[in-house]
Amino acid sequence: MISAKIKKIFEEARKEALKQKVQANLSYHSEKSHLMRIGNNSVSLNTSENLTRLDISVTIGRKQGTHTQMGEISSAKYIIDALKIAIDKANNSLDLDFTPLKEIVEENFVQTDQFDKKLEDLDPAFKMEAYKKIIETVGQQYNYSGSWSSGSTEHFFMTTENENSAYHLVTDQLFNIVLKHPDKKWELSSTQTGWKKSDFKAAKTIKEFQKLLPVYENHKGFKVKTCKYTVVLGSAAIAEVMEMALWTGFYGRTYEEKRAWTSKNKAGDKILGSNITLMDDPSNPDTFRFSFDMSGKKRKKFVLCKDGKLKNIMYDSQTAAMYKKKPTGHNIGGTSIVLATGKGEGDKSLLKAVKDMGTVLYIPALHYINLPNASKGIFTGSSRFNAVLIKNGKIVSPIFSSRITDNFQSVFGNVKVISSESVSFNGSNTYGRRSPVAISVPSYMVCEKVKITDCADSF
Amino acid sequence: MNEKMRKTILENISRSVVKKAEYVDARLVTEDYSESVFLYDGNLEANDTTFENGIGVRTLYNGAWGFAATSDLSKIKECFELSFKNAKTASELVNISITMGKKQKGFTASYESPAKQDPFKVSLKEKIEFLKDIDSNLKEDWIFKRYISATFQKKNQYFFNSEGTEIDRKLTDVFATMMVMGLDNEGQMQRRSHELFTKGDGTRGWELLVDPKLFTSHTVRIKEELAELLKAESLKHGKRSVILLPGQGWLQVHETIGHPLELDRILGYELSFAGGSFVNLDSFGKLKYGSDKLNVSAYGGFPNSPGSFGFDDDGSPERDYLMIDKGLLVNCLTSRAMINEANERAGRKIFKDIGGASRATAFYRAPIDRMTNVNILPGNDGKLKDIIASTEDGIVVDNPTSWSIGSNREHFHFGCEIAWEVKNGKKIRVLKNPTYQGHTTEFYNSLTAVGDKSTWVVGQVDSCGKGEPNQVMELGHGVPVLKFDNVITGERK
Repeated sequence: MISAKIKKIFEEARKEALKQKVQANLSYHSEKSHLMRIGNNSVSLNTSENLTRLDISVTIGRKQGTHTQMGEISSAKYIIDALKIAIDKANNSLDLDFTPLKEIVEENFVQTDQFDKKLEDLDPAFKMEAYKKIIETVGQQYNYSGSWSSGSTEHFFMTTENENSAYHLVTDQLFNIVLKHPDKKWELSSTQTGWKKSDFKAAKTIKEFQKLLPVYENHKGFKVKTCKYTVVLGSAAIAEVMEMALWTGFYGRTYEEKRAWTSKNKAGDKILGSNITLMDDPSNPDTFRFSFDMSGKKRKKFVLCKDGKLKNIMYDSQTAAMYKKKPTGHNIGGTSIVLATGKGEGDKSLLKAVKDMGTVLYIPALHYINLPNASKGIFTGSSRFNAVLIKNGKIVSPIFSSRITDNFQSVFGNVKVISSESVSFNGSNTYGRRSPVAISVPSYMVCEKVKITDCADSF
Repeated sequence: MNEKMRKTILENISRSVVKKAEYVDARLVTEDYSESVFLYDGNLEANDTTFENGIGVRTLYNGAWGFAATSDLSKIKECFELSFKNAKTASELVNISITMGKKQKGFTASYESPAKQDPFKVSLKEKIEFLKDIDSNLKEDWIFKRYISATFQKKNQYFFNSEGTEIDRKLTDVFATMMVMGLDNEGQMQRRSHELFTKGDGTRGWELLVDPKLFTSHTVRIKEELAELLKAESLKHGKRSVILLPGQGWLQVHETIGHPLELDRILGYELSFAGGSFVNLDSFGKLKYGSDKLNVSAYGGFPNSPGSFGFDDDGSPERDYLMIDKGLLVNCLTSRAMINEANERAGRKIFKDIGGASRATAFYRAPIDRMTNVNILPGNDGKLKDIIASTEDGIVVDNPTSWSIGSNREHFHFGCEIAWEVKNGKKIRVLKNPTYQGHTTEFYNSLTAVGDKSTWVVGQVDSCGKGEPNQVMELGHGVPVLKFDNVITGERK
């Protein structure tokens, strides 16, 4: 629970906001972050950050202002002074041409079910020892780099609409290591994620590298021709492409403003393959769960696409007010997106799943995806780690950096096989404040007729 | 900053040195303000201010870095202790020892961005009125959406290190964008935008934003160009010349010269996230990065840019130097620790002087090698009209919509807002959805024309992301008009 001192300070600030006759959302965000970076087989950075932020948004009629302040919240005066800045901003603002919705914390929320004290207090020496073990076991002849972020995020807020408050405490970690051959230049990668210390196992990464190393050590790189291929997308590639498809297809703002690749569609229209079902499920354990959004709305399972048909669009409260829709609990960065698994073989039998498909490219991850034409759902990105050419179910060679430029409708409209196993992909970035987010996706998907539009002469 | 705070910091630095720290520095940020105002279709959708302050401490112990930061300034001692402890833990896994090289003589210095009118002393009301005026100039019945944003930043930072250096800096930045959007004849959204730029000289306070030449006078142009885009055909796939206006040229330089020439990236310290570089230590003095027309500098010595900041976060002064000389790679973006490591690993002195490119975005991030101003120097091929006149079959492109680059920056794919088709030396029509792609050194070796000084402008960048934890940095790119031949353009059917 939030400390009694912070709660009392916030309650005093709420009283002050009510006295000033403004609507206010008062929010506390505190993080204990640690990150270790590895470069050239050494710890290149070992950093700890303890940061507290206060966010205040104020609405006066149709005028709004927000103010964020970093520092220790030590007294009611501190927060009331910040509130005055936000009130002043709102008073000097312009009237919006819509009426903002009132932010009502629907019940007293307390969510701490993904908090692990052992992870919050993880000794950096544990990380250093794990990296050391991996490097020594897999082989010191390779060049290793990586990063391991872990920490806790505490979030508490209340609004002037009632006396409820919302509290969320979560721990998260994202481990990553890249193995690069010093001369041949190919790179392998291993990633682990979770909210508990015990979610990390050094042995898992060691096993992954030991499985792939013979393929890379014993075969030369292959330059892929630019044409259409059957491509097995791995979990990271699926998640990265799907995140882009969500951002440009399932959010109310882009949809209503006709910038989305789904803007010409309505609920019930076929937009993707009939084996694609996509939802936001705040109960899914592969994701970082938020049972409420930052406007205080309770979050529930929310289907976006069912059997390839458009079902629902996500509306935050601002977009809902603007377009006279109902908010759907999406004033939040940390959605719990789940792409449903299929009936295909599990990850261990991936090669078996493609043995009758001839030449297949396996692309586990895509680097630097972007959208040359969001209205048409066109995306582009290039292969990087662990990508290989497969022929008749056998790995033939690693492939050079190859670019996919295609559209969501085609790639997720021509899916032949979907793995029956799900994988948690941690999509948290480390920009600004700590804010964990993960997506649950099948461990692989076999997609037909995927356009490869360029290939480099190197990895 | 009060003397008590200074004394506390210096005492803690001394304490770390007594505990055998090889080098220590601290960055105290007393105020880091930013303000964003953003009008969308006439609605003031962003009216935000952010204030940050705190301290970040970096300790080098037995060849390894430790870093700690806190927003609680009553815990400075604890912050130093945590930084030291982190360095000590890191030193248990060291393959290549980090060193700051030869101990430098401490000095005292200061830097202040040239600014006439502090943007934080301009009232919110005045700022909003300014945006409203632009908005009313952009408004037309046929325009679907209008967007105008302005961001103001001000940072006061004090740097201290264990060599006795003390530097105080006051940095001011102003960024602004305007954009109009419309639905084309196929129901696709098209857009035209303009970003506040500089010519490298002048000052960078509120006065930068209100200079009509740099911002407000562009409303009519972007509306006219959008109107043409809405009825235009799409660019067809094929090889042709590509002429980059500075609105696109800065991003080309940023992604395919700036990032691959960051020394920490070349040395392999960014592999796990941003990626590596096709450049290696053997490339310097040997790699023909581009044609003889390609001359690239770091910093550039011009005062009016977000990449001009006086001293970096190692305390090194910014330095103006060539990185690519007549197409030959000769230098890159460097910091103190990285040049020592590079020279040692190469077994020769590739880098003589520190580049002054060690930068941190906030007190709570450790500095890494960043771009300052990465610039293509003006050439002798005249103005845009002269370059078009010498083009048989090509396109002129402006402003990015999409950018995707290979992990070693060896290949790229860009989408732009607009293209003008050029046939037999003349611009003949507007084309929509332009894209082009290429392989970096092949592309720069096909550079056949570089515009003169009159075409050269400084693009302001406020959102360059790099590093873990990720850091968003402000920087600049001075670029003229550039022409490349035999480039793959448009998408294959």
